[in-house]
Amino acid sequence: MTESRSTAAVVRATMATVVHEPVVAIMLVAAFFDGISGNPIHALLLGGVAIVLGRDIALGEPNPPIPLVERGMWIPGGWTVAAFSAAFALVVGAFPRYSWPATVGVVAAAAAAIAVAWRGPLVVHADPGPLPRRGVVAWSTVLVAGALWELEALLLQPSLTLDSQQHPTISTLTDPVLSTHAGRTLIMLAWLLVGWFLMRQ
Amino acid sequence: MSSHDVTVLGYAVVVVACVVLQLLSLRPGTRIPGFTTLLRRVMRGRPGRVGVITAWAWLGLHFFAR
Repeated sequence: MTESRSTAAVVRATMATVVHEPVVAIMLVAAFFDGISGNPIHALLLGGVAIVLGRDIALGEPNPPIPLVERGMWIPGGWTVAAFSAAFALVVGAFPRYSWPATVGVVAAAAAAIAVAWRGPLVVHADPGPLPRRGVVAWSTVLVAGALWELEALLLQPSLTLDSQQHPTISTLTDPVLSTHAGRTLIMLAWLLVGWFLMRQ
Repeated sequence: MSSHDVTVLGYAVVVVACVVLQLLSLRPGTRIPGFTTLLRRVMRGRPGRVGVITAWAWLGLHFFAR
């Protein structure tokens, strides 16, 4: 951070970042809609990360993305992560969805992962370089179509907070599974392992 | 076919399309990158890396947290 920059300059640069950096803009829009859907904790997470990330980008990334393994950080092995994740999922999954204990556990895991991702990538990977336009368009089309299909189902509900069996969102479809301890444990374990996979990219 | 079935079919089509793209990425000389390659490209800088991990974090909150 450069101390010579005035607060107004930082605010202007942050606003410019929000406009030009799609990640920040997407997170702010998602935070807004999560907020008006009655999910203040989700909105705080998304909005908070968006604001700090926008400021971070505006100021310039303070250190190059050196993989954490090269900075001497201990990276647990796959089996250690799997065992810890299974224990975590078993304990936290015992609590009902949307209860405070489940909320605290999931928010703690999420915050820890974001904090680690902020510091840098976990491991070294060769930069794949620019990807073929055709491939990027193909993946983008499928992923955006999936997001729009989910959004369409959400907007066809009676309200943002009332589920519809006629137009179920993915959340609505998973409700029966997540109503049991075993289901919550399995889905939470899958969530944690996907997070570990993402952090190693 | 009910509205429910059409909606579920839509999700299934998206999943199948992802599987097809991933399979196409395995062919020699293909111009379709694999999903992992796509992720590594997106996550090579801090905004992409933090953005992807935040999206993952949000999913966990969405399913479990109040």
